[in-house]
Amino acid sequence: MKSLVKFFASVRLAITLLIIIIIASILGTLIPQQRSPEEYLARYGQLGNLFTRLQLTKLYHSSWYITLLFLFALNIIVCTLNRFSPKIQKAFRPNLESEAKNILALKLKENFKKNSSLSLTKEEMKKELASHHYRFKEEKRGNKILILARKRILGIFGADAVHLGLLIILCGGIASGLAGFRTDLVFLEGETFSLPQAEFKLRLDKFETEYYPDRSVKDWKSTLTVIEDNKSLLTRSIEVNHPLSYKGLVFYQSSYGWNWENAKLEIWVKKKNDPSFLKKFELQLGERVSLGDGETQISLLNFVPDFVINEKNEIQTRSSEPNNPAVFIEGWEKNEKIFSGWIFAKFPDFDRLHSAKEMDLSFELKSFHAGQYSVIQVAHDPGANLIWLGSAFLMVGLFLAFYWPTREIRFFLEESQGQTEIYMGGISSKSREAFQSEFEKILASIRRGK
Amino acid sequence: MSESTFFLLAFVLYVLAALFYFSYLFSKRENLAKIGFVAALIGLLSHTLALILRTVESGHAPFTNMYESLSFLAWASVIAYVLIERKYRVQNAGAYLMLIVIALMALASSPLMPKEAAPLVPALQSYWLWLHVSVTLLGEAFFAVAFITSIMYLVAVSREKKGRKIKPGFTPEKLDSVSYRCIAIGFPLFTLGGLIFGMIWAYKAWGTYWSWDPKEVWSLITWFVFALYLHTRIVMGWKGRRSAFIAIFGFLAAIFTYFGVNYLLAGLHSYA
Repeated sequence: MKSLVKFFASVRLAITLLIIIIIASILGTLIPQQRSPEEYLARYGQLGNLFTRLQLTKLYHSSWYITLLFLFALNIIVCTLNRFSPKIQKAFRPNLESEAKNILALKLKENFKKNSSLSLTKEEMKKELASHHYRFKEEKRGNKILILARKRILGIFGADAVHLGLLIILCGGIASGLAGFRTDLVFLEGETFSLPQAEFKLRLDKFETEYYPDRSVKDWKSTLTVIEDNKSLLTRSIEVNHPLSYKGLVFYQSSYGWNWENAKLEIWVKKKNDPSFLKKFELQLGERVSLGDGETQISLLNFVPDFVINEKNEIQTRSSEPNNPAVFIEGWEKNEKIFSGWIFAKFPDFDRLHSAKEMDLSFELKSFHAGQYSVIQVAHDPGANLIWLGSAFLMVGLFLAFYWPTREIRFFLEESQGQTEIYMGGISSKSREAFQSEFEKILASIRRGK
Repeated sequence: MSESTFFLLAFVLYVLAALFYFSYLFSKRENLAKIGFVAALIGLLSHTLALILRTVESGHAPFTNMYESLSFLAWASVIAYVLIERKYRVQNAGAYLMLIVIALMALASSPLMPKEAAPLVPALQSYWLWLHVSVTLLGEAFFAVAFITSIMYLVAVSREKKGRKIKPGFTPEKLDSVSYRCIAIGFPLFTLGGLIFGMIWAYKAWGTYWSWDPKEVWSLITWFVFALYLHTRIVMGWKGRRSAFIAIFGFLAAIFTYFGVNYLLAGLHSYA
C-alpha cells in the first residue's frame, strides 16, 4: 500500500503520463475517428483491423485512453493530498525561525544594529510591514523576538486550485458521458412533440431562414412554445448561438431542411394553337387532375429542388435548396399515357416532354411552396455546470500560482546593551526582482526609523 | 486611407524594424535597436488602424478567415514582443521575432488567402468569437516570443561552450528566464481563451462543450505540452536546454493547432 501511494505521489509518474497522453492524443488526430469499417479497410488495408482492435478508431472513448486519464487523475489526487497537510501547516500554523544563522542562510538577507529598544524597534517594524500589507506573527523569548511577516498566503494554494479544477472538469466529463444525452427533433411548423425525457411538450410555431443580400444564410430562427398540462408556458425564439434552456434541457437550432414531399406546385397549362387558353392548377405530388376537356389528365410524379443529371445519366438533386426546381409530369388520355417528362421552373421554354404524337399542350412550373422543417437538438448535459466550476478554479489557481506568490520576511531581534540587533531574511518563490525591491524598501525604512 | 493601405504600411514598417534590429545585432549599436523598436511601434499603430477599419467595414470581429486571423496573430505577436522588450530589455530578440511577424504578414497577403470580408455564417455570430479568438491568439503570441528566446538560449549556450563571449545583459540564464516569463503570461491566456472560452462557446453553439474535434484535441495537446514545461521546471527543477526544447515544441504544437489542423485534418473548426 505504502509503495503504491509512493508510486502515485511521484511527479515522475505525472510527467510520464503527460507524455503518453500527448502522444496518444496526437495519434487520435492522425487516424480519422469513428468511421465505418469499410473506410478503414480501404484506407489502411489489413492494418485497419489492427487499428479497430486496439480501439485506435475510437481512441478518445477507448478503455485504455480513459484508463490513462483516470491514472492521471489519481496521480493528481495523491500528489495534492500528499502535499496538502504540510501546506496547511505552513499557511495557518507556521513555525517561527528561532535561529539567527538560518536567516542568514537565505538568499535575501540583512544583519544590522539599531540604537533603540527591542519593543520600540518591533513596533516601528510592525507599522512599516503593515503599510506593505504584511501580516505579522511574533513570539517573545527572553530578550529575543521572533517575527514572521507574510502576505499573499493564498498563493501557496494556486497549484492545488488548478489541480482541483482539473479534477472537477474530469468529473463533469464523466457526468456528461454517463447521464447526458442529445437527440435531434425534426419539426414542421405547427407540429408538437412530447419529449420522452420531460413532462412538457414543445411546439414549433414558426421557422424562418434569414439571408444576406448575396443569398448566403444569415440565420435560422425557430419560435418554440413550451406546453405543460395543455397550457402554453413560454414562447421563445431560438437561433444558432442562442439556445433555449428549460428545466434541465437545452434546445439548439441545429439544422433545417425543406419538406419537398408535400410541396404545393403551381402548374400552368397553355395551348400553342390557342393563346387565350390558360389553366392554372395547384397540385401536390401524386395528384391527378383533368384538364377540363374531359379527356386529358395530368399527374405529377416526382419533384427535385436542385435538378442535375449525374455521370450515370440519372436524375438527382444536388442539394435540398430550390436552385433548379423541376417536376416530372405525366399526361393521360383514356388510360393511355400520351406524354411524360420534366418541366423546369427556371427554364419555362425548355421542356423535355416525350410524346407519342404531336402535342398542342405546354406546361409551366410557375411556383412552388414547401414548408421548411427545423431540426432542433435537445440536449441534457449534467456535467456542464461542473465544467464551468472547474474552469473557474483552474483560472483562479493559475492566477494565484503565477501572479500571487507568497512573500515572507523573517526576523530575529535580539537586545543587548540598549541596542537591538536585527536579522532579516526574505523568501519568495516567484517574481524575485519585485520582492527584492520591496525588501530593500522595508529594510531602508526600518534602518532609518520613524 | 483604406484598410489595405494601413496593412501595407504596417508590413513595410515591420520589415524596417527587422532591418534595424538585425543591424543592431551586427553593429551592437544600441540606437539601432531603439529605432527598430520605434518602427515596430509605428507599424503596430498602423496595423491597429487597419484592424479597426476592417472591423468597421465588415461589421464583425477581424478574425473570421485565414487572412484576418493571420494578420491578427501578427499584430498580437508585435504587442507581446513590445511588452516583453520594455520589461525585460531583450532587444536582441527583436530581429528574430520580427521575422515571424513578417512571415505571418506575408502569408496573410499571399494570393492563397481570400481577403474578402464575407458575411458571418450563423455559427460565428456571437460575442464569444471576440473573446475566444482574441485571447487565444494573444496567448499564442506570447508562446511565439518564448519560442524565439528559447532558440536564442540554445544558440547562446552552444556559443558559450565554444568559448565565445556573450554580452552580460543577454546571458543564457536571462533568455531562459524570459522564456519562462512569456509562458507564465501565455499559458493562462491560452487556457482561458483557447480552452475555457472555447468550451463555453461550443456549448452555446453546438450544444456540447467538447467534441474531440481535431482542433480541440490539438489545443489540449498544446496545453499539455506547456503543463509539462511548467511541471518539469517548477517541480523537477529542469532549466535550460530541456526547458527550451519543450517550449519550442509547445509553440510548434500551438502553431499546428492554429494553422496545420485546418489544412491537414478535417473537423468542425472549418472557419479559420
